[in-house]
Amino acid sequence: MLFSKDRIGGVLLLAFCIAYGFLSQNITLLPIQAKAAFTARTMPEVLMVLGIGLSLLIVIFPGVHERPQLAGFNWGRAALFLILMSVYGMTIRPLGFILSTSLFLMAGFAMLGERSPLKLFLVAVPLVVGFWLLMTQGLDVFIEPLPWFLKG
Amino acid sequence: MIEGILVGLGTALNPVNILFVFAGCLIGTFIGMLPGLGPMSAIALMIPVAASLEPATGIILMAAVYYGAIFGGSTSSILINAPGVASTVATSFDGYPMAKAGKAGKALAIAAYSSFSGGVIAAIFLLVAAPFLAAVSLSFHSADYFALMVLGLTAVAAFAGKGDVLKALLMTVIGLMLSTVGTDQTQGVPRFTLGLIDLTDGISFLLLVMATFALSEALIAILKPSGDNKRQEEMEASSNLGSMKVSGEEVREMAPVIGRSSVLGFIIGVLPGAGATIASFLAYGTEQRLAGPEKGKLFGKGSVRGLSAPETANNAAATGSFVPLLTLGIPGSGTTAIMLGALIGYGIQPGPRLYIDQPAVFWSVIVSMWIGNIVLLILNLPLIPYIAKVLAIPSRFLLPLILFFSLIGVYFVTFNTFDIQLMVLFGLVAVMLRFLDFPMAPMILGFILGGMMEENLRRALLINNDSWSFLWQRPLTFAILLIALFCLFAPMIWSNVQRLRKGADRAGEGG
Repeated sequence: MLFSKDRIGGVLLLAFCIAYGFLSQNITLLPIQAKAAFTARTMPEVLMVLGIGLSLLIVIFPGVHERPQLAGFNWGRAALFLILMSVYGMTIRPLGFILSTSLFLMAGFAMLGERSPLKLFLVAVPLVVGFWLLMTQGLDVFIEPLPWFLKG
Repeated sequence: MIEGILVGLGTALNPVNILFVFAGCLIGTFIGMLPGLGPMSAIALMIPVAASLEPATGIILMAAVYYGAIFGGSTSSILINAPGVASTVATSFDGYPMAKAGKAGKALAIAAYSSFSGGVIAAIFLLVAAPFLAAVSLSFHSADYFALMVLGLTAVAAFAGKGDVLKALLMTVIGLMLSTVGTDQTQGVPRFTLGLIDLTDGISFLLLVMATFALSEALIAILKPSGDNKRQEEMEASSNLGSMKVSGEEVREMAPVIGRSSVLGFIIGVLPGAGATIASFLAYGTEQRLAGPEKGKLFGKGSVRGLSAPETANNAAATGSFVPLLTLGIPGSGTTAIMLGALIGYGIQPGPRLYIDQPAVFWSVIVSMWIGNIVLLILNLPLIPYIAKVLAIPSRFLLPLILFFSLIGVYFVTFNTFDIQLMVLFGLVAVMLRFLDFPMAPMILGFILGGMMEENLRRALLINNDSWSFLWQRPLTFAILLIALFCLFAPMIWSNVQRLRKGADRAGEGG
């Protein structure tokens, strides 16, 4: 099978190993260490050779000939979750912990099928406030709770 | 040794530590019960909490979560035939048929008694083996450590399973590659940072583990079409458990199985790379063969022996896997790799000097294993009907919460939002690789051992005047490297021998 799971994975990791190999040549070497047996480049270069060799072996001699099954999965929903997590990362500072996390959880619950706005609110907000209280009061970890426009 | 046990008892019996053993066992059971989330995800989720505790307390908490998760995994295996952990797959062979026959409570009780016995017996072995091995390994040099790490990595790949050796080896190399990102330790030059300041300290271990396990597990669950019928089934299974009493005859049947499976599980657990999964299947197979034709027929249909053997062996192996971790600083499994990362985070270097430099940590981990097993038994048996209700939490609430705990756990360590973005990226890559059946545990092991391996190799070369001859001139190093080579090629040779034998048999039949 040309596009078997092993082959696809092998090609992807081969590309990664080649990119790693190229970047390894950019590691700066001090003049006095240029002829040393072990430099900052030694390990990366050995790994590059091993990585390329192994991924080529997987591409040439795949153990599994099965094709990846892509049908029947909620790819769109998973992509939306990736975006949601990334947006959460961008908003946690400007919007503060309580608002950004509550919005993240409510959006997540809604995306997985919860339709009642009351349930969304009642599950997300007390949980986030409780967690914030536990972290700040119980474990002494300061987390900015409020958005930038509400801070003094 | 007695002195050590007293030190361990003093630390482990501290009320705060006992509280954390209770909490860890409960949390571990909850998380382990959720199909898909295993001990690795459970421990990863606990690292941010453990980081804010004393080292001994943090490690005790993680060890308790580990046992709890294995126990929880067996509960979901028995009740809904959905093993939360690979090591409890064999448990479902006989546990689920028992549950289907209306004896779920009995199956859970047998699993609990077997796990308890396996864990306690293996902890006694650990108590004897760990200080002995630690004393022996005090004479190890950098070159030997480098060789041991090579052995650890190759053994993990070798035990990866049918046809997966190459993939496991490649994933180990990828893990080693990721460990080189950041500032080089001796020259102080940046490597693979792509000019980003956020990468100068390297990739966070916690970030990689969370993204690879917890985040990707939740994303895969989001990808899969939801099954409302299955949820209904799970809710019903968790509400009708039946009696939890085990008869005297069943106890007599279990006792020798527990003895054999504890020894087998412990030995398998000590070997780097082999782990609870292999131990549970081996114990199951061994007991099936020993049972004889009559009792052997019951295996797979609700046999007491078939349930007790894997449950004993997986707990014994989990304890056994602490031997290489505590004495050599080499994790024997993905789970102990995560624990090693957490120990390093505390500034504690596990290895032969651990029991000299940090006796409280060393002994309290061992003693807390007994306490953890006792807690699991007395806490979980009466609570199982209630804990099993966790299976009924709707996934639409559960999955976003797992994502949230994963993201926030990493964010709270550095308060750097770049880590969240990097985690999302790693999570995506992990999902892709898991879809293509590439194993993740060898990558984590490679990542953890990468830095130490490079440091030991560099030191060995320095001591040996830049000559690589220590690899074959030092007998111990050479012997360990030979074993590593054997581990690497043995599965390939074995599969070829089997193929040839099958071919010969077929030819014989034909002739």
